[in-house]
Amino acid sequence: MSRRMRRVLINGLGVLVAIFFAFPVYWMVNTAFKTQDQFQTYTPVFIPIPTLDNFVRALGAQNLILLIRNSVMVSVSTVLLSLIVGFLAAVTLARVKFKGRAWFLLLVAIAQMAPFEALLIPIFLAIRNGLPGPLSLLPIGYNQVPTLILIYFIFTLPFTIWSLRGFVAGIPPDLEEAAMVDGASRFQAFMKVTLPLLAPGLVATSIFCFITAWNEYLYAYTFMSDPTNYTLPVWLVSFQTNFGTDWGATMAASTLFTLPVLIFFLVVQRRMVGGLTQGAVRG
Amino acid sequence: MTRAQPKVTPPVSVLGVSVAPSRYHTRRTLVRDLLPYVAIAPAFLTFVLLLGYPVLLLFLTSGQKFGLFELFNNVTTYIGIDNYYDLLFKSPAGLPDFMTVLIRTVVFMVANVVLTIALGTLVALLLAKLDKWVRIVLTSAMVLAWAMPVVTGAVLFQWLFDSKLGVVNWFISSTGIFGDYLNHSWFATGLSTFAVVTLLIVWQAIPFVALSLYAGILSIPKELPEAARVDGAGEREIFSHITLPALRPLLMMLIFLSVIWDFKVFTQIYAIRGGGPDNETITLSLYSQQLGINQHQFGVAAAAAVIMMMLLLLVLVPYIRRMVKSQEEQ
Repeated sequence: MSRRMRRVLINGLGVLVAIFFAFPVYWMVNTAFKTQDQFQTYTPVFIPIPTLDNFVRALGAQNLILLIRNSVMVSVSTVLLSLIVGFLAAVTLARVKFKGRAWFLLLVAIAQMAPFEALLIPIFLAIRNGLPGPLSLLPIGYNQVPTLILIYFIFTLPFTIWSLRGFVAGIPPDLEEAAMVDGASRFQAFMKVTLPLLAPGLVATSIFCFITAWNEYLYAYTFMSDPTNYTLPVWLVSFQTNFGTDWGATMAASTLFTLPVLIFFLVVQRRMVGGLTQGAVRG
Repeated sequence: MTRAQPKVTPPVSVLGVSVAPSRYHTRRTLVRDLLPYVAIAPAFLTFVLLLGYPVLLLFLTSGQKFGLFELFNNVTTYIGIDNYYDLLFKSPAGLPDFMTVLIRTVVFMVANVVLTIALGTLVALLLAKLDKWVRIVLTSAMVLAWAMPVVTGAVLFQWLFDSKLGVVNWFISSTGIFGDYLNHSWFATGLSTFAVVTLLIVWQAIPFVALSLYAGILSIPKELPEAARVDGAGEREIFSHITLPALRPLLMMLIFLSVIWDFKVFTQIYAIRGGGPDNETITLSLYSQQLGINQHQFGVAAAAAVIMMMLLLLVLVPYIRRMVKSQEEQ
């Protein structure tokens, strides 16, 4: 076999594999833009004459605005809470040598690998019983949306610490010290020198937390009984069950749900490969 | 590590005698010594209380008679290992018995891990051989699959594999190799439902494995395979003597992660058929959820979750050890 033929074959294989990965996504978007008779045929239509009808039907679903609000509220609050608590711990881990540091690091690593699928039952029982003492005043309980913030905060905190710790450690402390020699206070040096350099790390970590909270299904499904308290993943799965035959609207809803994740994912994709085996979030 | 400290001038009294400089100094350092603990306190308390408490509760519940009555009346009755006994030797109403589910879960996990790692490695090797533009196309395609939320994937794959209008049945039928697949129902048997779930999981997991391994391949010095080639080594020898040994640590981490992930899969299976048809796709995480949340046998469900956690520990312990070690080396 000639060298040229080999190259063509290898690249051809590459294209085939690419089609395997891209096709389902293409098919989702493709179906979302089809008219009813274009997706309800035995012979599939590969390039539809686009219509927005499916999106109109999907967006017309009952309570959808409320559910979008739930999902955004839960995801954004999770990010903020995780970032604040995680940041303090991460900076300390990266910059200060204190007694017990290695133990704390181990605790973070263990927490990161905690199998939440196995903790569903005790968390359910704890939430059902309500929080003890003054904490019972918090709107945390069965069928209360803020409960999910608390749970996702516990999910994402270890990763937040682990990831931010790496980013802070990557910024040489000499930079801060130089600023302090020039008369800045420790706080000023941190705000003016380290924080701007840390911005990409903060963005990447926030996105990880956001995607985790945005995509989570098991806990949202278990804890939210009222359809107005659902988050979007729970709605999407039940939407598909209820509108089983309306694949156009289902795919339009799926596309809309996926879009923010895809955009965010592309922002951080480069960072995800690389130090990724350090406990990644899948999907 | 030396750190610049702001100069502290001790306060001086009007008489010109310094006022207890030593005590002043001690208070400063005490605050400085405590500061790291204050900073990690919120995270530490979150782990110990919010995560530690459920873990403790899981073990306690697994030793209790715990049904709806106990839930609403707040009574605790310890019954030792009865829940574990029931779990292992009595099959619960409406659910398969535990050993069936356990074996099924392990087989399912192994199938997913083997496929993910083997195909992921092949794609990584392919990436290294491709021309630049094809590589960009393939990488982008993989990122699409990887980024897809799991619930979207589960909904989408039901559409792809729909018996009447699904594009997969149309494709298989039109190639003609396997005969007529129109109206073939993929979700009629457990095995075939598992096949779709596995395809979904592997489709989303390969990108992570392949891109990580490809990054690993890039970090192998180019001189090594070149020198081997000069010495007359073939592609297969280069792979088994240079590429594979270089990738081994990374590969181990990826296998550990895949085992952990695929052992506790919930969403893909549940969102596709809720463990059906006929409970044939119920794996351990669904089993514990169904026993507890649906049947209110919280004690038995906790026992199932404890066993699941113990099995996971077999993989988690070496994984966490490696993870912490690699972090401390940084």
